[in-house]
Amino acid sequence: MLQIEHLTKIYGDGTVALDDVSFEVPDGEFLVILGLSGAGKSTLLRCINRLIEPTKGRIIWDGTDITASSGEELRQIRRHIGMIFQEFNLVERTSVLINVLSGRLGYVNPWLSLLHYFPREEVDRALRNLERVGIADLAHKRADELSGGQRQRVGIARALMQEPRLMLADEPVASLDPVLAHSILRYLEQLNREDGITVICSLHFLDLVRRYASHVVGLKDGRVVFQGLPDEITDRRFKEIYGEEAERITVA
Amino acid sequence: MQRKKSPVLSSVLSLIVPGLGQVYAGSPSRGAAFFIAIAVTAILVRWRGNSLLYTGIAVAWLWNVWDACNLAQGRRLSSILPFLAIALVLYVIGWGVTEINLRRLLTDVADVKPLVSDLFQPAVFERDIEELVGEVQFESPCSDSPPAKGSPLESEPYLVLVDKTCGDPGDTFTIEGGNFWPNSRGYIWWSNLAGEMEFRVRYKGDYLTFETDEEGRIPPTTVIVQEPFAEAKDKGPQLYRVQARMRRETGPLHLSETFFLVVEKMVETVFLALMATTIAIIIAIPISFLAARNLMGGNPISMAVYYVVRTILNTLRSIEPLIMAIIFVVWVGLGPFAGVLALAVHSIAALGKLYSEAVESIDPGPIEAITATGANRLQTIVYAVIPQIVPPYLAFTIYRWDINVRMSTIIGFVGGGGIGYLLQQWIRLLMYEEAGAAVWAIAIVVAIMDYASAKAREKIT
Repeated sequence: MLQIEHLTKIYGDGTVALDDVSFEVPDGEFLVILGLSGAGKSTLLRCINRLIEPTKGRIIWDGTDITASSGEELRQIRRHIGMIFQEFNLVERTSVLINVLSGRLGYVNPWLSLLHYFPREEVDRALRNLERVGIADLAHKRADELSGGQRQRVGIARALMQEPRLMLADEPVASLDPVLAHSILRYLEQLNREDGITVICSLHFLDLVRRYASHVVGLKDGRVVFQGLPDEITDRRFKEIYGEEAERITVA
Repeated sequence: MQRKKSPVLSSVLSLIVPGLGQVYAGSPSRGAAFFIAIAVTAILVRWRGNSLLYTGIAVAWLWNVWDACNLAQGRRLSSILPFLAIALVLYVIGWGVTEINLRRLLTDVADVKPLVSDLFQPAVFERDIEELVGEVQFESPCSDSPPAKGSPLESEPYLVLVDKTCGDPGDTFTIEGGNFWPNSRGYIWWSNLAGEMEFRVRYKGDYLTFETDEEGRIPPTTVIVQEPFAEAKDKGPQLYRVQARMRRETGPLHLSETFFLVVEKMVETVFLALMATTIAIIIAIPISFLAARNLMGGNPISMAVYYVVRTILNTLRSIEPLIMAIIFVVWVGLGPFAGVLALAVHSIAALGKLYSEAVESIDPGPIEAITATGANRLQTIVYAVIPQIVPPYLAFTIYRWDINVRMSTIIGFVGGGGIGYLLQQWIRLLMYEEAGAAVWAIAIVVAIMDYASAKAREKIT
């Protein structure tokens, strides 16, 4: 169970990215965070694994206060939270295998890892994870030779190396075309259903939300404007989240 | 919209002091531009003393009044006209200051022809030289027992005196000889008896020459008795050696001594660049992190370090390596070490800046992603930062080595070692064929470096 309590983030320039956000995510949920660009979705996700320091509020995960942890303890927590990104955030000039293995850095011997040494079983684990996302044959290609959909799958494989209990996905399909979007989200769905990994995913498109989400949080200007089931998002609710001028766009 | 100003007052102000009306009308930067442009140009015109040029300034000044008048009414005019007037004046002054003289370019072209043609005949190949020498002794001034006239030899080249065997400086005497190469030209040399002081004899400014006949005989040739050498002055009668010398090239062409010297110095030059670049890399890498805004932006102390390092780098970079070399030549003496230091210091500044920009332009995404996996700081640097900065670092380093090879070829001009030192000496001694060899060596090496560095950088990025 992940509890977000009165989370507020104000950036150095005075921008209020999150304003008193509170909600709960039970284990095993596929939570979608819906909102316009700039609504605070990315900030919210990054506060959960502390890539961004929240200004106020608490985040409690299975009884541990993430916001109060630091140093080794924070790294231990991060180990169990996978994250995938809109721009994939792979290390471009490095091989796919090393990119995937880098997801394991929180587990392996830190000194040996500096020499790019990974034990045999970790390499096997990486290959298994690549196989799981269907690109085992690309293990020795450079990351920058891959297409967008392939890159995101490397991103998922990297996150899987962490054996995560929680997966954060920041607009994972916004840089991909609709067909690929479905294939990526299906992997996330699979992880959610088969491995019981809690997924928190930010998305743009309502159709995708209806198809994959088990629960939805709507954000607008850093505030929670909707909490509920995907089916409860009526046109009225939709306009509350996206503004009066919004029109729904259908994704194939 | 701002309140309208008085056009009359504005015009009058600009008439008195250019730009003042514009300041009054609310465009201080425009006013400052007018004032500085007109004032600086006026000072320059006064310095060059060409009063015709005041016309240009007058045009700009009047236009400035008109501009101030319009500005006060809220109209902005295009400033093409005064700009052209000022530019014209400046170019006329510039023409004079730089002493541009197109006529000389055409009339004096003959002066440069031997130089250029020598540069295209670099002294890379040469033949062995063989020499024939015949000599006879002459006394000056005359003593009681003057030397003999000498006698013809059987097969060796010889020289004999025809009319007299002694005389005072300035007198003339006649020589003749034989057994030289037929139909060839040679020179007359004068030396003391020990043979360590010698020179070629001149006659009316030109070297005194002779031509042999078809049997290798030197016809009777008139020679002037030379002044005594400094240490023989006032020491009474001395014997001198008068020689006829002939040289010719013989044997096959082979690589010249100059060639080997140039190669040796070229190797020195490339190593000079290599050492300078290597020293610069070692120092510039840690410095580049201190000069990267994205790494140093955390707190005021690191920001202060950032600014100090940046300022030092910018200052060092603005000093030309040649000037740096002069300083180091005084410091550590003539030679390649001074050149290494000069190039190293300049390269530290240049690479420090380029490296730090590479650090600044890294994509934060991978850092974020690696941090999110629970990696520690060192792991994050090794996995997310270094892979991103290695290619640009390599590219900049190769580029810098390329530049350093180029620079090291001329750093010798101020005593910094390498091939430039030879080139500069040969140019001063008017040894243009040797200089040509050096110039070609530089051109070839620089072209190879240029090509190789471009190829290598292509591969990396």
